Amino acid sequence: MRIVRGFATTATAGILVAAGLCAGARWHMLKMSGRKDLTGVKSCQTCHGRPETLEELPWAKPRPHHASPGGLAVSPDGKRLYVALDDTDEVAEVDTGTRLVVRRSKVPGGPTGLALDPAGERLYVTCRSGDRVAALETATLKEVATAPVGTAPVGIAWIPSQGSGRLVVANSVSDDVTVLSATPLASLGHLTGGREPYAVAASPDGSKAMVVSRMAGLTRGDEVPAAEVTVVDPAAIRVVSRERLESGHLSEGICAVPGRPWALSPILKVRNLVPITHAAQGWVVSAGVAVCDLSKGSVVELPLDETNAYFADPSGIAVEPSGKRAFIVSAGANVVTVVDLARLSRWLETAGEDARRGAIDDLQLSPEYVVARVPTGLNPRQVALSPDGRTLWVAERLQDSVLALDTGTLQPIGRVVLGDGGGNDPIRRGERVFARASTTFQGQFSCRSCHPDGHVDGLAYDFDLDGVGRNIVDNRNLQGLAGTEPFKWTGTNPSLRVQCGPRFAKVLTRSDPFGEKDLDDLDAFIFSLPPSRTPSSGPWTDAQKRGREIFFATRTTDGREIPYGLRCSTCHRPPLYTDRLPADVGTKGPADDTGLFDTPHLLGVAASAPFLHDGRAATLEEIWTVYNPKDQHGITNTMNKIQLNDLIEYLKRL
Amino acid sequence: MTKKPVTVLACAAAALVLAGPLKARSGRPAAELPFPLIERFEHFGPEQGLPAWKVHCVLADKGKVWVGTTKGLAVLEGKTFNVIGPGQGLSHSVVTALAVDPATGDLWVGTLRGLNRISAGKVETFTQTSSGLPNNVVYSVAVGKDAVWVATAAGVGRRDARTGSWSLFDSTNTLMHEPWAYAVTLSPEKLYVGVWAGGIVEQDLARGTWKEYRDPDGEMELDLAPDDGPISDITSWATWEDGILWQASYSGVARYDGTRWKSYLEKKSPLVSNFVNFIAAKGRVAWICTDRGLTVTDGTSWATYKGAEGGGGTVEITRPGTPPERRRTATAMSNDFVLGASITENEVWLATSHGLTRGILARRIDQATAARKTGTQGASR
Repeated sequence: MRIVRGFATTATAGILVAAGLCAGARWHMLKMSGRKDLTGVKSCQTCHGRPETLEELPWAKPRPHHASPGGLAVSPDGKRLYVALDDTDEVAEVDTGTRLVVRRSKVPGGPTGLALDPAGERLYVTCRSGDRVAALETATLKEVATAPVGTAPVGIAWIPSQGSGRLVVANSVSDDVTVLSATPLASLGHLTGGREPYAVAASPDGSKAMVVSRMAGLTRGDEVPAAEVTVVDPAAIRVVSRERLESGHLSEGICAVPGRPWALSPILKVRNLVPITHAAQGWVVSAGVAVCDLSKGSVVELPLDETNAYFADPSGIAVEPSGKRAFIVSAGANVVTVVDLARLSRWLETAGEDARRGAIDDLQLSPEYVVARVPTGLNPRQVALSPDGRTLWVAERLQDSVLALDTGTLQPIGRVVLGDGGGNDPIRRGERVFARASTTFQGQFSCRSCHPDGHVDGLAYDFDLDGVGRNIVDNRNLQGLAGTEPFKWTGTNPSLRVQCGPRFAKVLTRSDPFGEKDLDDLDAFIFSLPPSRTPSSGPWTDAQKRGREIFFATRTTDGREIPYGLRCSTCHRPPLYTDRLPADVGTKGPADDTGLFDTPHLLGVAASAPFLHDGRAATLEEIWTVYNPKDQHGITNTMNKIQLNDLIEYLKRL
Repeated sequence: MTKKPVTVLACAAAALVLAGPLKARSGRPAAELPFPLIERFEHFGPEQGLPAWKVHCVLADKGKVWVGTTKGLAVLEGKTFNVIGPGQGLSHSVVTALAVDPATGDLWVGTLRGLNRISAGKVETFTQTSSGLPNNVVYSVAVGKDAVWVATAAGVGRRDARTGSWSLFDSTNTLMHEPWAYAVTLSPEKLYVGVWAGGIVEQDLARGTWKEYRDPDGEMELDLAPDDGPISDITSWATWEDGILWQASYSGVARYDGTRWKSYLEKKSPLVSNFVNFIAAKGRVAWICTDRGLTVTDGTSWATYKGAEGGGGTVEITRPGTPPERRRTATAMSNDFVLGASITENEVWLATSHGLTRGILARRIDQATAARKTGTQGASR
């Protein structure tokens, strides 16, 4: 790596200096990107400079906060709607008659998910950035208890159980599920979930909790990725079953169906190894709903899309108390899809095994059970039904409002206004661009479809117009991206404007490119995303401290000097842990055109498995135990297992 | 999973040799043993659905019996064996160790190529290349309150239950004489590691400090000064239960109550063989698995089960101050080479080199003598 890299760097620097950043710079940019149309490159610093401190970066600076609705809960009498506002650290109480906010309560830590006890006296709130659950007394909307849970809790459900009932919480970063007693509020145990447990609901009989994971589990090669519905018995504090949502992905909601042994969960099916340019032919990303029959342990995935109309990023789901209809919001399409569950059941009963197995691929199927599409405001993410089932509340996240729909007429009956929508904030506007699917051909997917919260989806993709199976690349994390230019694994895009510009439309969205203003806003949003959270927190451990010494070592563990180019900190240079230069670490595969890949930053790296340019390393360990046989990715083969573990503990801390 | 129905082979007659109150040879009623006797044995092999004859380890837990064999992990539920092997995601077919996490019900499975966690049917693997596991050869697993511990051919690993972080302990950072660890066992306060040629090392879990127990006479084959420490530096297994640490070696057994060591040898006690593969403890009673049978003892009373020529078996009972009493039994273990055991209130499951054996106890084990501890110990080869 170092020879290639060192030569390129030295030669380029020499040319640039000699040529005064004119001819040399153009030559270098042409060589690296193959393009002559790059604009906005003012100096070497544009691609290869680095901030001296993280405080200089956009994500580290103060930004506007918005009353973005997250979790919703309706009181048992239907008179109150509770709304979690994670960005402002508040919970709002709404009079459902007037649709006015009557109270707001500060709940520090990013309130996200809500669950009420059956009497409506206690509101339980997951605090995603605070790693806790808070209990609010609804009479006063004051916090009366708190309990720590796993890392980044999102979904929560109240399950009737012994004593006062139990709470089940999905912890999205620590990949586990916490079971708590409701009164007193206390953790009883932690269970292993799927990858990124996200939403929780009570099972049809009310005795279990169903937890759906947002990300598909890690796969190797051409294995089919699958998300998971984890069925938890909160009384026994045990996982009783794990339903596999084959090829399911980005599942952000789950709901039981009264009268049927079903759990419904919206999913995306991503054909990630189909060349993404095939978006122009449709069918690269499908929105669907998984029907888990818990009595049989079977799962059937059905499309919500139609042949020429897609309903991207299905997220929240609610089912009428009668069990007749399900309401599913598509966050990328701004639509509520209404599903007739009796018709769906009839189709399931009459369809053969092959038809059920291939249902998700049949874009002509949805008229069998989809009975209505209702437009909403921007980015509907969560839904809640009134206890009588007559009103559907839809959280319109990116316009700071909650829509009220009459479920009889399917007409809007009003809106709860929570904030000003944030239209003057470029970050908010950029998030709208990021979340809207209308930018892609027929609205098949949004940026968020593959980058939930700006993070990764854990999949590798066949991107460029270079033939099937060539240059497969792992999805890269957009969190903590600011200051890490250039972009792409090949490092050929010097800015996000280039990355997301006309070429993006050609190889990915297969539609009109983003406009100039959208690109500005998209820049603002993506660069506002801080690095990913990892479960590692608290005081530094001894292992992390030892690992830090290894990371910055100038001598191998057996005493030899490490050449400058092979030290971890040379390429992964703080504060971003990247020098923003391409490097050859010996990972060029038979399907790769080059062995030179952009040096990724390492902030929050532990949360972004898999690793290396094509996602071949499922764990950080494999980067060195499997894919560094010739010490081209640092001199690691002299390390013993304790030293390697220490290094990894340090990386998990970044 | 593959399924195969079980038809239990053994013991139609179930000749209850030991039924009724036992009498000593003097005619006086015999003192009741501090442990129940096995009244009959049943056998399970490939015909009943086991994937292989050779059984390395067994673990009975809440109605299920997990069986580690040379050809995968079998689980007996009701009358059916289901088999989990590499085809179902297990990292290797040779299963060497089993332990259940009492907090979650997850099963940890050690193999000759990595560690596995089975949770509600999902198999997750940890190998030395994909995780911080010290070495792929896993001999023993123990689950504590906040971590799972493994003994491997290259040291001891600790995986934090919440963070997933691994800590490694071997001869470079502990008092371990060498990294080859055969057993890990936990008390509420301490970790004990059975080291192949390094006796036993102990970690104070709160302080992280280490202490070493070595055989003071240093002799492998002899115990020159009885009761002076571990019976040998070669530890083949170690089990802590109810305040007692039991050390197994190929030179006998040692018992440590936190203050005193006590040695048991084939020639100086009713122990059936010095070649000890495994010890399962329930309360203060040890079930000692050897190459020539099973010996049960609390250190004072003894019972040894062996096969007998011509079929059936024998049980030899030794009470303090009385001569041994040998009886024929209609049934016996599948094989006298016993590699593992798991004890429940009313039965004992035995892993042998030629099949799985279920021993039905003559009475329930007194709950009051059952374990008082926070962690679970692994069952191993």
